[in-house]
Amino acid sequence: MAIQILSPLVVSKIAAGEVVERPASVLKELVENSLDAGANHISVEVSGGGIQLIRVIDNGSGIPEDELEIAFERHATSKITSESDIEGILSLGFRGEALPTIASVADVSMLTRYRDEVAGTSVILENGTIKNKKRQGCPQGTTVTVRNLFENVPARLKFLKSIATENSHISQLVTQYSMAFPEVKFSLLMNERITLRTPGNGDLRDALVEVYGLETAQSMLEITTNEGGVSGFISPSSVSRSNRNYLSFFVNRRWIQNRMISYATEEAYQGMLMTGKHPIVVLNIALPSGDIDVNVHPTKREIKFRNERDVFLAVQKAVRETLVGYTPIPNMRVSTPLFTSPQLTTIPMPIKENMGPSSSGTLLARESCQIETTTQLPILRLIGQLRNTYIITEGPDGMYLIDQHAAHERVLFEKIKEQQAKQSVEVQGLLEPITIDVTAQREDFLRSQGEVLSEAGFTLDRFGERTYLLRAVPAVLHRQNIPQVLAEIIDSLGELQSSDWRERIVVSLACHGAIRAGQTLNIQEMEELMHQLEETALPRTCPHGRPTMIQFSVSQLESEFGRRG
Amino acid sequence: MQVSCTQENLSRGLGIVGRAVATRTTLPITNHVLISTDNSRLRLSATNLEIAINCWIGTQVEEEGAIAIPSGLLTDFVNSLPSENIDIKVAPQTQTMEIKCAKSEARISGQKADEFPPIPRIGEGITAKVDPRALRNAISQMVFAAAVDDSRPVLTGGYAQFSGDKLILAAADGFRLAVHNLGLVAPAGEEAGVIIPARSLRELDRLLRDQADPVEITINPQRSQILFRLKDVEIVSQLIQGNFPDYNQLIPQSHTTRAVINVAEFLRAIKSASVFARDGSGILKLMITPGEGIQISARAEEVGDNEGTIDAEIEGQEAKIAFNSKYLMDIFTILEDEKVALEVTTPSSPGVFRPIGDDDWVQVVMPMFVQW
Repeated sequence: MAIQILSPLVVSKIAAGEVVERPASVLKELVENSLDAGANHISVEVSGGGIQLIRVIDNGSGIPEDELEIAFERHATSKITSESDIEGILSLGFRGEALPTIASVADVSMLTRYRDEVAGTSVILENGTIKNKKRQGCPQGTTVTVRNLFENVPARLKFLKSIATENSHISQLVTQYSMAFPEVKFSLLMNERITLRTPGNGDLRDALVEVYGLETAQSMLEITTNEGGVSGFISPSSVSRSNRNYLSFFVNRRWIQNRMISYATEEAYQGMLMTGKHPIVVLNIALPSGDIDVNVHPTKREIKFRNERDVFLAVQKAVRETLVGYTPIPNMRVSTPLFTSPQLTTIPMPIKENMGPSSSGTLLARESCQIETTTQLPILRLIGQLRNTYIITEGPDGMYLIDQHAAHERVLFEKIKEQQAKQSVEVQGLLEPITIDVTAQREDFLRSQGEVLSEAGFTLDRFGERTYLLRAVPAVLHRQNIPQVLAEIIDSLGELQSSDWRERIVVSLACHGAIRAGQTLNIQEMEELMHQLEETALPRTCPHGRPTMIQFSVSQLESEFGRRG
Repeated sequence: MQVSCTQENLSRGLGIVGRAVATRTTLPITNHVLISTDNSRLRLSATNLEIAINCWIGTQVEEEGAIAIPSGLLTDFVNSLPSENIDIKVAPQTQTMEIKCAKSEARISGQKADEFPPIPRIGEGITAKVDPRALRNAISQMVFAAAVDDSRPVLTGGYAQFSGDKLILAAADGFRLAVHNLGLVAPAGEEAGVIIPARSLRELDRLLRDQADPVEITINPQRSQILFRLKDVEIVSQLIQGNFPDYNQLIPQSHTTRAVINVAEFLRAIKSASVFARDGSGILKLMITPGEGIQISARAEEVGDNEGTIDAEIEGQEAKIAFNSKYLMDIFTILEDEKVALEVTTPSSPGVFRPIGDDDWVQVVMPMFVQW
């Protein structure tokens, strides 16, 4: 095939791929336009995961009638005029690409009235060119309607995830912008149902109430250190989530993704959160526009800093100082045992080395080989408990250490699975229902997929907007912080294929229901646990795949002590 | 400081305040016990910042003074001494305690008394007096229902409501509720409702064991601390701030079935069923049939099952309800009544246990939802 210059239509579709990746990216461009137009009320309407319809209504400045045609031309923008403006970008958009690229992959119509004009203008676009333009009365502002997204790009359509996933990206996006612009009243209508509505009174905490629920929002700590332009809210160490979806970062109120800032934040929480737990953070970093470069990627989600190190330190310091300032009085009841006995640290080094990863690594390797041949446990004699975490036992060939948490997890995992298979899940009623506030994303999940939770034993009744009443819980959880466990389960399911949900719930329930490391067990309890472990089908690993026990063989002990070989 | 006392007194005193010594702490001085002279007595104090205990023992005071000494070390040493007179001496400026008893001599390094966290003093406030036996009985019948996890801090304590000559103690953990009423020997000056940490109640229960005289209770005007004054012992606890749920609305006001059961017989039946229920979450199924009795059953998957029937005087309709055996055991192992009443409505509404004849206490237990 001969080399030729591509036609404008092909070029625009290629470019569209960079900016318009999924329905949420269309919405992002439109919302940013609304914000740049100075709107203080933006309502978003979405249906069919954004593929059928995205509509953004704002009360911004609007577009003058005579500029409408140009607006849909590539690289047409009112936000910058000269090369030097790129160095000091203050608006969210500037590339002048959004409208034309969206118009090239969807049916777009627009209704707008510029603030100085008496009548509005409506236009309908087909294949990127204006087809039908007429004068029409309307309030000041702009309404953009995008229908049938990607209809003419089948490849893109094919790669879209489920409607639920796209919905979740959309609500995530609106949520983020509503936190970045608390003075703007956002509303999100998803499939004709209000899922988010922020007050737009300029108070970020009030916006957080809508996003994360009253209780969480009240507990959030405000950053007041004014360190390097960092402001926002962070969760205290007592509140955490099991994934990083609750980290929101903005630079000059532009929603960005940046591993460095994310790392700086979590670093500041070092030692305050359990491993695998992440904070809730809403941070804005205000920087002179000359210190950042947003023109890295068309979607502008990535950003370059001139002084990355300074930003890192400022974020870390601001978060840390805020946390330390609010750290509660030491509470004896929740103190975790770091060392059960100080003598433990005085074990001579050589022994430690010999017990190091290399030797236990080979042990594990051999263990895993044995799983295939025998899943039975050897007959074990209980000796005692080590560091309130491991059960020491003697078996036919040496010493076996059982991880009490992993072992109990396995026991519960198989028991719950069996109950589910027989549809006889043990459910404990709650004396007083627990009120659960959920985010828009979680609400969406509960509405469409709540059944999977009720099968597991959670009885949830809807109780108004984004509020549920929990009336009964799986019996294994009866001593846990139930709202937190439920939130974690819902969060973790969002990341998985629906086919894996049941398994995942059982794993979570088993993990939360199991005795913890650090819990003192008496002899009867330990014997009971060993007995129950013996009866499981796969006693040697916990549901996460970690070993429940490791073995130190007699010959290994003898060689370690220099008795033989 | 220079004092002398008997080994028995010192050992007993250290045992009492030792309950409040912090075990794992970021503030090392809280695992010390503060020893100070108080007129002609020796005062021992310990605190973990939640609970503080003061204990006074009879001593001969030669020279006033005070020092904080590591609690474990001192207690172990004193317990190992023969029951003879102990001479204690702290030379000014040294922070070292010299202990002499019979032929033993020891020196223990301590810390300055003024580094010890202040032991809260409650002089005035709302006061009441209560009989120690009645208080112990009430605590034992409600404290087990307090929540063990910290997700709702108000539930980790027991709610104490003083009104007139009545004291109501209540605890709930989301699955069950226990309420106990008792009379006050001296009525409270004004109405007050406070939440006392469950741990403090358990320590109080322990200290009440050998008390005969009425216990004086004082709540400070800020309602942040509560003081229990026993003979020679004072226990001060922080109070949990917050609102305790309105427990009265959690107690069902009506029922469709009422069974009067014999406590000992019922306990025996649930004990043997619990053996089989142990494997699961301990589900005990109760079938209540008027004219016949209550059938209690439990099964362990693939191991076996158990069924027992006890006699009961049943009024109303036939009913069934399933409970976590642990919750029933918690109640029935401490009951002193001969007979109690079980009131039931549906398999998914709470079961209520009440005494016969009076309304000193009530236990509400949420059932488990099972397939029948």
